Amino acid sequence: MARLSDMRPVYVIGVGMHPYQFASETLYIDMGLTAVRGALEDAGIAFPEVESAYVGCTGIGMAAGRIMFNHLGSTGLACTQIENASASGSSAFQLAVLEVASGRRDVSLAVGVDKTGDQVRAVQKEKVNRLSDTATIPLVKYALMAERLKKEKGLSAEDLAMVAAKNHTNASKNPNAQFRKPRTVEQVLNSTLVAGTTTSLMCCPRGEGAAAAIVASEDAIRRLGIAGGRPIRVKASVLQSEQPQVGREIPSVTLAQRVAEMAYDEAGIAASDLDCVELHDAFAIEEILYTETFGLAPKGAGQHFLRDGGSAIGGQCCVNSSGGLIGQGHPLGPTGLGQIHELTRQLRGENGDRQQPGARVGMAHMIGLGSISIAHILTKD
Amino acid sequence: MTALEKPDLYEIDGTGPALKLIFGQCAACKEQHFPHTGYGCPRCGARPEQVTPEARDGRATLLTFITLHAKLAPGITPPCVVAEAEIAPGMIEEVMLSGSAAQYRDGMTIVARAEEVERNGETVLACRFAPEEEV
Repeated sequence: MARLSDMRPVYVIGVGMHPYQFASETLYIDMGLTAVRGALEDAGIAFPEVESAYVGCTGIGMAAGRIMFNHLGSTGLACTQIENASASGSSAFQLAVLEVASGRRDVSLAVGVDKTGDQVRAVQKEKVNRLSDTATIPLVKYALMAERLKKEKGLSAEDLAMVAAKNHTNASKNPNAQFRKPRTVEQVLNSTLVAGTTTSLMCCPRGEGAAAAIVASEDAIRRLGIAGGRPIRVKASVLQSEQPQVGREIPSVTLAQRVAEMAYDEAGIAASDLDCVELHDAFAIEEILYTETFGLAPKGAGQHFLRDGGSAIGGQCCVNSSGGLIGQGHPLGPTGLGQIHELTRQLRGENGDRQQPGARVGMAHMIGLGSISIAHILTKD
Repeated sequence: MTALEKPDLYEIDGTGPALKLIFGQCAACKEQHFPHTGYGCPRCGARPEQVTPEARDGRATLLTFITLHAKLAPGITPPCVVAEAEIAPGMIEEVMLSGSAAQYRDGMTIVARAEEVERNGETVLACRFAPEEEV
């Protein structure tokens, strides 16, 4: 299997976003165009320079990108719509990266845009019943895992609340975030109880928004005159799907570890090299689990890494400086590209009061229902 | 007689409320899986004709349980209790428990039984797990 490191280098040259928000009358085209125009402006290039586009969305309908791009001028670019559940934006980014890495295109766009729409899960059409009526609801799986870890490792509701308070507080400083209020541990604990010890503020919101990233080859960067120091290298791009459950580990957590290890290998880094990570914290327990599976904290010590400030901005490796899915939001199609937006700004040193000092290596990680896991490693050359 | 809510997953075990769970037994890989479906063996990919349904005792070991406080799915009425249970060696499934969390502790034996629930205005028999001594 060819790896990204075997192909020609690919760089993120521009990122843009439309803020994530609760369901509204805003048209998806307005949100998508805002993100794409933001990315073009950030890169300092015009739309006709973009040779191909991958559009990640889950609830808009067929041919969303084609309709949206008509309003940017009919350049005839190659256009493909991607649906990979929560990882739709991440998958759009991966395909844009691989297309440039392979030499097929020099400049490619990935855009995620979504509305709270008619997302229908294919599992509902499988016609296979489950013993529990909540068996396909991820929140329940993770709430059960939190309960188990409470008994086995002393993980407390306060630990879960600490994740959510950190991410809500990070989001309060992020103009693109859906939630803009700093939250305390007490406020998180006192929000509506949902399942086990999981409260509503420990869960990501549903919403809408858009995010975009433009990737380019070194040839294109030279040709387009993009300033040195701004392009951010994509060093690894890995996607795998889960295998049958072994023992009591949640398959998506085991899968996340496998994907992270493959990504580290492809990028030639170790977990200790990571300065900033944007990870799939749809539920607070996930952040604790993934900091362990990604090797940021020893196994079983994720809550200590959190309590000691290891995942705070300015800590060993800041986790979800954007606010993550819990704070910045999780509109599905854009979510993975919102992570690329955050990491690109971190690695350029442009992230304002959410800046991780000296950030040079970052990882974006998403889980898509089913499950798939996808990771990208970005570096400042 | 009241119909079972999910007859592809379980069947009445004798004359009482106890249920048997319907596993799939694969002739190709000799492995068992749950639930049995019409699609073949999820372990080795064998075609459906290689897999036969096999009803087994609905006894399980309770691993973890939580109370749901929100209506997360159309079929549930919170508060209710969901759990992870080992329904056969190495086979862990999410199940729904009868009654409240106070009746349960990790590691205890629970048994599948039929309980009446309302679905679309009709009464059907759903699978709920309960402490062994209650079944």
